[in-house]
Amino acid sequence: MEALFGITGKGFVLTASDTTMARSIVIMKHGEDKSRVLNKNTLMMYTGEAGDTVQFAEYVQRNVQLYGIRNGVPLSAHATASYTRRELAKALRTRNPYHVNLLIAGTDPKTETPELYWLDHMASMVKMPFAAQGYASYFCMSTMDRYWKPDMTLEEAKALMQKCIDELKIRFIASLPQFTIKIVDKDGIRDVQL
Amino acid sequence: MPINEVKPATGGFSFDNYARNTMLNDKGFKAPGVIKTGTTICGCLWKGGLVLGADTRATEGPIVADKNCEKIHYLAPNMYCCGAGTAADCDATTGLISSKLELHRLHTGRQSRVVTAMTMLEQMLFKYQGHIGCALVLGGVDINGPQLYTIAPHGSTDKLPYVTMGSGSLAAMAIFESRWKKDMELEDAMELVKDAISAGIFNDLGSGSNVDLCVITKDGVDYRRGYDRPNERVQKERSYKLKPGASTVLTSSFRKYVEVLDGDAMDTS
Amino acid sequence: MAMKGKNCVAIAADRRFGVQLMTLSTDFQKIFEINPRTYIGLPGLATDVQTLSELFRFKTNLYKLREERDISPKTFSHMVSSTLYEKRFGNYFCEPVIAGIEKDGSPYICSMDLLGCINHAKDFVVSGTASSQMYGTAEGLWEPELEPEELFETIAQAMMSAVDRDASSGWGVIVHVITQDGVMTKTLKARMD
Repeated sequence: MEALFGITGKGFVLTASDTTMARSIVIMKHGEDKSRVLNKNTLMMYTGEAGDTVQFAEYVQRNVQLYGIRNGVPLSAHATASYTRRELAKALRTRNPYHVNLLIAGTDPKTETPELYWLDHMASMVKMPFAAQGYASYFCMSTMDRYWKPDMTLEEAKALMQKCIDELKIRFIASLPQFTIKIVDKDGIRDVQL
Repeated sequence: MPINEVKPATGGFSFDNYARNTMLNDKGFKAPGVIKTGTTICGCLWKGGLVLGADTRATEGPIVADKNCEKIHYLAPNMYCCGAGTAADCDATTGLISSKLELHRLHTGRQSRVVTAMTMLEQMLFKYQGHIGCALVLGGVDINGPQLYTIAPHGSTDKLPYVTMGSGSLAAMAIFESRWKKDMELEDAMELVKDAISAGIFNDLGSGSNVDLCVITKDGVDYRRGYDRPNERVQKERSYKLKPGASTVLTSSFRKYVEVLDGDAMDTS
Repeated sequence: MAMKGKNCVAIAADRRFGVQLMTLSTDFQKIFEINPRTYIGLPGLATDVQTLSELFRFKTNLYKLREERDISPKTFSHMVSSTLYEKRFGNYFCEPVIAGIEKDGSPYICSMDLLGCINHAKDFVVSGTASSQMYGTAEGLWEPELEPEELFETIAQAMMSAVDRDASSGWGVIVHVITQDGVMTKTLKARMD
């Protein structure tokens, strides 16, 4: 019942993740941040099986950090996504595959090109201008397809994100009261309010 | 793949995807079909050697995947092998045995014997307990004269003067049973095998298209691809060539090849 | 789908990526360049398409380093075949199509099933979820000795007619025509439903 969103705009990616940790029919925790900062300009958001998600995200996070330290150059968003896909694909061929679905958002600090990658637990990777994970995608891909346009300003992207969240509030059976909204741009990753 | 993970090829099968595929299958994901030969293959002995025959249809479920495929595989200069069943298995198995025979010949300096090939195929198929789905008709001539074997997917073998295999084997066997005689002439044997395969082509839905023959004698091999073509497609009555610009193009680009020529050698003096 | 023409070949694919009935992307790459004269189309499960494309890039790069030349389409198809057959009992869900021009200028096409059984054809090969539709359209439109421009129109129309009759294919078509002196790449306007 988890939801992740990402919308690319002019020089940034706006992301949203719900903050509910649920197990079976019980809400265990509110206010969980379902994302990890991979490096200054790359953010990974995750949903999936409870133990796998954090374990996998932190594993990738540390390897991406290590790469940056070793080489003095941070890994680009595309390279990060490719690396993550390969790790998922490798795990898929072991006895205990990771059951995680991801969105990786990044903005190149020099060219300011925003990039958003969608990855599922089967290790498929697609670059998308806007993306959603979980049941939310059934409701909100159409909303984003209708209202998304290239080079959106931050205000426009925020408005679109609000539309998506409102849509979920109206039509989705599960209640997702709170979302963490972040922006990934050339200056780094910050929390923002809609 | 990081370079330190590169390992030399070990050969043999890899089961890496097996657990994942079981998981996918449990979720109801349907795998694409595999190509089967759905075949009529046969062979018979005659006075001076033997004739192998096969149809040329490959199927994927009800679809004809290949209208003119080759089912008589090379094993050795004096030996050929018809394959029926899972097409990939037949190709790979005969290819593997043929390379093993070649190495064996280079090692011993002698002509390969038919029993050697038969035993290798039999042991391989038995080892895989029928999971490698090929039914074979093996024919060859060596110092013991012409010999004809069938090898079933589980590894059982028969040595007979005339044999048939595949989905059209019953139709082909009916022809052999009524007309095969000991010590036939070449022309009669070729005609008989052609008729046996034709019986499969016309009466078994899994078999079709053309008849391939392969005559093996002690003097050599006469491979007759398309010996009989009873199902040629007639010329189309008109040309359906499309006018340029029939399709709406969104983007178009043309990339010329870059020719790399040998330059002058680097001055290393 | 791939087709032979007169001293040229064409390879075409649709561009949809989706999870069951939901389309997520309409610019998904399914045809990959192996070298300027050899292309491979990989229809099937997206994760395997990507894993295999990476694997073949790796293998052909090693081949090039070892042999100091580009791999020929025929050699490459056997490389693909044995890669798939190695996974005979735990397959990749992918049925590749290979198109290219040999060193002597002759056109080469082939297709494979998911176990790596190579199918050589004199006219055209098809693969993927719309394969049964493509057999029909290609059979009707293809004729021998087509020039590159004619081959493009033929494969484009055969492809468009076929994917329009398959619910899970479409959302754009890309065509590469490999000729004696270069590669023509075109994207087509297609139905987006």
